[in-house]
Amino acid sequence: MFVFPHVTVFALIIINKAGGLIYNRTFHEGGLNKISTNDYLVLAGTFHGVHAITARLNPLRPASTAKRSSTSSVTGGGSGPLTRPELPSGLEVLETENFRMQCFATLTGTKFLLFTDTTQANVDLTMRRVYEMYTDYVMKNPFYQLEMPVRCDMFDRKLGSYIREINNR
Amino acid sequence: MVVYSFYIFDRHTECIYSKTWLPSFSSADPSPPAGGGGGTTLRASTADDAKLIFGTVFSLRNMVRKLGGDNDAFVSYRTAHYKLHFYETASSLRLVMLTDTATLSMRNVLHQIYINLWVEYVVKNPLSPVEHKGGAGVRNEMFEMGLDQFVRGLM
Repeated sequence: MFVFPHVTVFALIIINKAGGLIYNRTFHEGGLNKISTNDYLVLAGTFHGVHAITARLNPLRPASTAKRSSTSSVTGGGSGPLTRPELPSGLEVLETENFRMQCFATLTGTKFLLFTDTTQANVDLTMRRVYEMYTDYVMKNPFYQLEMPVRCDMFDRKLGSYIREINNR
Repeated sequence: MVVYSFYIFDRHTECIYSKTWLPSFSSADPSPPAGGGGGTTLRASTADDAKLIFGTVFSLRNMVRKLGGDNDAFVSYRTAHYKLHFYETASSLRLVMLTDTATLSMRNVLHQIYINLWVEYVVKNPLSPVEHKGGAGVRNEMFEMGLDQFVRGLM
């Protein structure tokens, strides 16, 4: 039988497209430091900015902007509607000595941050499942207002049982 | 693996050394006037990159310290296009390296650069100033040559 490598999910944070914190939940005590809700809000805002900068820092960019400016005489790296080479990608995985953070940014700008332990396991799969749950139980909830904090019982329950299953594996 | 660029920031948050190994970069560098407006934006962006990198690294380091505790250290981050490696010494000297995404952890490489090149050729140099304002003392032949050889040996 296939045995999954053990991975512990510490926490999940969802940031809306304006950089506001809309969901914040800790699954495993002791993985990350306890910080106040206010600090989480600051963290979400900071990360939102950092994510935008990391997308701009691409070292392979100068060649493409030079090519673009010579063909369309657009200076300043403005991306015209005709030339759209590839989507800029911001930070995807952050590694530290104590934890690992996976970031998934949707096309609409919502960001999912999943904090796990440092083992290199299949976090992509977990992330996709979390996103599926978000679409199913938050987006399809008729009472949910866009860009507002997520308060959906179904989402909380399903997410909780899914992550518990992973953490107890 | 490919190394794109390398930066050193001192404890006063100033970029005291930067080097790029991009082939397209070095060929575009000597001819900024030929490109007209495009050339100047290219030059400006390379100078601004160091500031943006420091801002990113500083914010992430503080974020990591807040979440992972004071003895946690920010190691690297990866996007779809590049990977950034970070190493901070006890004296708040920060070494940053940008590589391609397939590269594994370069923490030991940055540590090697610190002990074998920085300490040997910059710290032990009697003519080098204590503070490296504007990169003074870092841009010596031995350090630059050693770094270039070391990084080219990795690629």
